[in-house]
Amino acid sequence: MSKYLDLSIKEIHELLVEKKITPLNLVEEALERIEAAKDLNAFITVNDKVREEASTLGEVDPDNLFFGIPIAIKDNIVTKDLKTTCASHILDNFIPIYDATVVEKIKNAKMLIIGKANMDEFAMGSTSETSYFGAPLNPHDKKRVSGGSSGGSASAVAGGLVPLALGTDTGGSIRQPASYTGLVGMKPTYGRISRYGLVAFASSLDQIGPMTRTVYENAALLNILVGEDEKDLTSVKKEKEDFTRFIGDDIAGMKIALPKYFVSEIVDKEISDRIKEIISLLREKGALVDIIDMKYLDTAVNLYQIIAMAEASSNLARFDGVRYGFRADNIDSVDSMYAKTRGEGFGDEVKRRIMIGSYILSGENAKTYYDKALKVRDDITKEFARIFKDYDLIIGPTTTRVAPMLGMTKDDPHKAFMDDVLVIPVNMAGLPGLNVPVGINSEGLPIGLHIIGKSFAEATIYRLASFIEEVER
Amino acid sequence: MDKLTREEVLHVAHLARISLTEEEIEKFRGELKILMDDIDKIKEIKDFDEEMMYTPVDGNARLREDEIGDMLSAKDATINAPKKNGSFIEVPVMINE
Repeated sequence: MSKYLDLSIKEIHELLVEKKITPLNLVEEALERIEAAKDLNAFITVNDKVREEASTLGEVDPDNLFFGIPIAIKDNIVTKDLKTTCASHILDNFIPIYDATVVEKIKNAKMLIIGKANMDEFAMGSTSETSYFGAPLNPHDKKRVSGGSSGGSASAVAGGLVPLALGTDTGGSIRQPASYTGLVGMKPTYGRISRYGLVAFASSLDQIGPMTRTVYENAALLNILVGEDEKDLTSVKKEKEDFTRFIGDDIAGMKIALPKYFVSEIVDKEISDRIKEIISLLREKGALVDIIDMKYLDTAVNLYQIIAMAEASSNLARFDGVRYGFRADNIDSVDSMYAKTRGEGFGDEVKRRIMIGSYILSGENAKTYYDKALKVRDDITKEFARIFKDYDLIIGPTTTRVAPMLGMTKDDPHKAFMDDVLVIPVNMAGLPGLNVPVGINSEGLPIGLHIIGKSFAEATIYRLASFIEEVER
Repeated sequence: MDKLTREEVLHVAHLARISLTEEEIEKFRGELKILMDDIDKIKEIKDFDEEMMYTPVDGNARLREDEIGDMLSAKDATINAPKKNGSFIEVPVMINE
């Protein structure tokens, strides 16, 4: 088996430019690797036209860094004529008739979509075990999960099947699996990337982002994905910028805050100790790191449960068995068509969240739960703004523990949320956040550092992340 | 362990238009109670302002001009429908005379 996919994107690009290899070579290698690593269960669908698509690029001169590079797309992002299931029985035969805006951008850059990555059903979960197609496994230890909800994207990149993947992050679903599998995962600022064609879970929180092996490749891929889109009215118009521009800069003078909560007793000691070592290192290199008090961080899971379940119950009302997807048999009325289709089509986690979400939004409950959550959400956002008056970045561990064993959180509706306790606050405020690997624990499992930036300050996050990556190397 | 009543589970299942088997009703009595207790914790937060945040986007949504744009063909619009008849989607009888 060839080993081109183990090279950096820059090295692969040079080989393509020099015509020493072709996009088809890369695709063949990725497909062989996927076949050999079938047990990882990283993909729900492999693109059976990808060889053909790669062949058409054979005579074309590479025009950008990502030309001809295979990429995995999380299966809640629609791809024209390529099955998109959201890891749910209710969509297990759904063939989209259009491309998501990010998919259009990826195709314009002539990247090759190798397949659709496994995930938690409708991105609801933190271990990808709610997938209708079974859980993807962690390449570092196949008895462990690769996290969620973008677990298949994480397994695919960490397992070396593809160098790049897209994930989505509603409450940590890019950063947490990146941490569990030792990858760089960025949740960009809300509005940075168009959500058009992302099957909505919680619309005010969802954001698409890149999952990669290195900081540089992450920033370079983000360059391609961003931009205002008239099809997503929450996408934001910004001056074009190069997210790689601060990579390699030194960090002297950077002002960094570490909230006490992020190294409190909720975090595994081995992880807190590793974070404390990083802090010493940063100080040594001239960065200012203050340990600070920050309010409302401990409320974020509670807010997330209310806001995400409420928005999900509304968004998932569209799955009614009429226009697309699965429809139950033996129905005698429209009402029974809705209820039976949804009862048979959704898995347990999704059912729980839609039921609680419907309850949250019904009658007076909307005031008690939803409105109150939006008020505290405003407070937590202002608290971030207060910290960011004095600091460039906020850091902490991405997760409270390393990747758990398979089956540990399954069917525990509470634990599933607690896996994301450190990453959820970022979604509340719409801020950018990134996981960068910071070594392994005594069992050889990856530990991740979480870097949070001001709105639209992704380039500053990459500056610190690249410094840490370099030191870790 | 505390559980919801059977009726409470059926109530939220109806709100969500989800049919449940007997086995599921029993299972969700406990599981939904855990989530109900979780969301109730919001009541304990005393220190908060009245301003609400619906979206992280400043200045809220811009709107497009209300103009006719691209349209789907009947074939595309019905291509994923689980039951169809020509260019129509079939559903159960909605109004009984």
